[in-house]
Amino acid sequence: MYSDAVTRHALDLSRAGSAGDAAFHGEAGDLGCGDQLRIELAVEDAHIVRARHRSFACPHATAAAALCCRLVEGAGLLDAARVGASRLDQELQPASHNRECVALAADALHAAIARALGSGTLPAAESRVAVAMSGGVDSAVALLKAVEAGLDPVGVTLRLWIDPAAPDSERACCSPQSVRAARSACHAAGVPHVTLDLRRRFRSQIVDSFVRDHAAGQTPNPCVRCNGSFRFDALAEFADRIGADRIATGHYARVVERDGQRLIARGADPDKDQSYMLARVPEQIVRRVWFPLGEQRKQLTREQARGAGLAAAERRESQEVCFVGGGDHRRFVERYGGAGRAGQIVAGDGRVLGEHDGVHRFTPGQRRGLGIGGGEALFVVSTDAASGTVVAGPRAALACTEIHVSPGRLQVPAARVHAKLRYRSPAMAASVRVEGDGFVLELDEPAYGVAPGQAAVLYDGDTVVGAGLIAG
Amino acid sequence: MPYLDHAATSPLCDEAREAMAPYLDERFGNASEPHRYGRAAREGLEQARETVSGLLGCRAAQVVFTSGGSEADNQAVFGLTGRPLGRLVVSAIEHAAVLAPARELERQGFDLAWAPVDGDGVVDVETFSATVRPLDRLAAVMWANNVTGAVQPVAELAAICGERGVPLHVDAVQAAASIAIDFAAIGAETMALSAHKMHGPKGVGALVARDPSRLRPLIWGGGQEGGLRSGTENVAGVVGFAAALAAMRTRGDRRRELRDRMEAALPDFPAVSRGVARLPGHSLLLVPGIRADVLVLALDRAGYAVAAGSACASGDSEPSHVLVAQGMSDGDARSVIRVSIGVDSTEPEVDGFCEALRACVEQQRAGALL
Repeated sequence: MYSDAVTRHALDLSRAGSAGDAAFHGEAGDLGCGDQLRIELAVEDAHIVRARHRSFACPHATAAAALCCRLVEGAGLLDAARVGASRLDQELQPASHNRECVALAADALHAAIARALGSGTLPAAESRVAVAMSGGVDSAVALLKAVEAGLDPVGVTLRLWIDPAAPDSERACCSPQSVRAARSACHAAGVPHVTLDLRRRFRSQIVDSFVRDHAAGQTPNPCVRCNGSFRFDALAEFADRIGADRIATGHYARVVERDGQRLIARGADPDKDQSYMLARVPEQIVRRVWFPLGEQRKQLTREQARGAGLAAAERRESQEVCFVGGGDHRRFVERYGGAGRAGQIVAGDGRVLGEHDGVHRFTPGQRRGLGIGGGEALFVVSTDAASGTVVAGPRAALACTEIHVSPGRLQVPAARVHAKLRYRSPAMAASVRVEGDGFVLELDEPAYGVAPGQAAVLYDGDTVVGAGLIAG
Repeated sequence: MPYLDHAATSPLCDEAREAMAPYLDERFGNASEPHRYGRAAREGLEQARETVSGLLGCRAAQVVFTSGGSEADNQAVFGLTGRPLGRLVVSAIEHAAVLAPARELERQGFDLAWAPVDGDGVVDVETFSATVRPLDRLAAVMWANNVTGAVQPVAELAAICGERGVPLHVDAVQAAASIAIDFAAIGAETMALSAHKMHGPKGVGALVARDPSRLRPLIWGGGQEGGLRSGTENVAGVVGFAAALAAMRTRGDRRRELRDRMEAALPDFPAVSRGVARLPGHSLLLVPGIRADVLVLALDRAGYAVAAGSACASGDSEPSHVLVAQGMSDGDARSVIRVSIGVDSTEPEVDGFCEALRACVEQQRAGALL
């Protein structure tokens, strides 16, 4: 059944139609899911002068689209970005099973707002800060801290491509739940929220290279690459658009100043430290970044979220590569054409130990999946994508003290560092010297299972002083 | 306000109201009691059974009064199946009161076979014949569909079932308001009816059974209705049901004429299943590109009560399974409004509706995406 408000707004045709050729549009839903609607915003001087809707949708969604237009017409773009499902629910009072229909209109509105914001630049505002929102607890508390600091935050969520065949894949016609969670976290704090649909760009810049690197026998770290050359670039570009100098995220890391440079440093929580993942964020962006959670532990973040009654307080976090969507990354690589050659598993002396069905399934140091039983424990020592050969050997054969990193860069001159060669491995004492377009590490003690393609991150104390990709 | 949604329910007719009045008042007794109050109630109940059976072409002993059509459908499907497990054949356009029990039986382990319909929403006799097998536990096909109004070849289907010894249940809830029913002539095993679709009261209906001893009760208790439907009888309701059924048989009927007039006036909105026999007051108009559920609200504001393709209590916007079964696209299935004209509907009402519909569609076009 329909509330009086739903009926009234569903039949409100005063803003039905098109907002003109120059308008920015957003669409949501499709005929497969039964409801489809389109919102168009004509924008002048960052203000919505005309908002129009058209739909082939149920009364709830139609009413929500009409109400969106009523609420945002005449508003500034950032004020319009404060309108979301919760505001619409408040007015329309849908039954719980109709909330989805109402949320569809908010999706269309936000798609239009994102397009409008992407086409121009708002005047700079000193206290404005772009807060990256993931839908999880960390970014929700980061936002809280931005609000508490008296800043003027604008939440932004990057909608990224997710494998549609993955176990947790989103429904194709609707925003994923994480975007809606991020939006409602912002709106609950009265903060504007913008969703940037970067699915296509993300796929070509991050996902495709992940698959390619696997096919080439490497062990890529897509998160380091994403932060270093995609995510923070997009955030900076967005911050520029909305006139914000600063960018805040919920990462557990800090920014320190060294010799006039701003460098990433470890977060105060040793278990959650994400400085490794952020090591390749360009310096000109690090200058603008604020990590509100850098000085605290995750436990405190959860407590603060609970204390503030945030919906995200108990949300579980994912540790996996996001676009794999909870699936097995080897299967993912195979589905997307990155399967490496099948071939032989050989010992260091060339003796054939067995066979395998694809080099992309192996990474140096790996013990499981070799399918060779008995005798001494065997590990993957190296893989050769061209021949399809996997070399296996005892742990001792993995020992490696000289590591070539290319490309790589030392941000400040350093000779003695601690090098982290995988996200979850401890940093190891090493000497470093610049060579070619990267550097060479001499480890004091051997490392076992160094994988080409992973990031090598160099620390001086807690400060990241260099980073690059392990070449061999 | 003109009411053109008689397939959903219909207003109580004067005949039913007058017949019921004493049973809501001084004849309030429990029909199971031997005293004069009880006897008065019993008399009304059995008189109603005589009337109903006389009008439906069956014997009084074959009529089990129920709380309505859904209960009658449930009792037929569950009552004729039981154990051991077996196979059911159900038409693709059945009402939820048949579909949901059939799915429940499927969940319990029965095999469920579907009898498809053609593009006009009529059960395909040849396919039905090829589908129904001896030893099937039940077949179910409605007499006339509640969405399209399409009348089904129930006599032919019953003959096919009869040849194979398979009982056929016929849901006549929509048909009984328009079609003179002769249960014996049709040859079905059971038939479901509802009073409120024919200007009787809500909460009363009947299950007619060729051989009631083959049925089992859904509701157990004091053994009323020959043990097939326990619970103190709804005497006033049953009396109203009988009076309404009788009244429908004697009343002048302009439904078909008004329906045809309306469809002729609305050439832009072609009626679904217009090529086959339909219930006389029933018309399912296709309004391409416009959502029926929104249009119904607009028409309500304009003063006309009609239904979207298939009104259902859950309020979800799934396209009607009936329309999908007859090959309609999901989009079109969401763009049909059901107009069901009643025996009391008038020419000015129908003409006014045509005008209102054209005006509402014209307005809605401004906000249409497709």
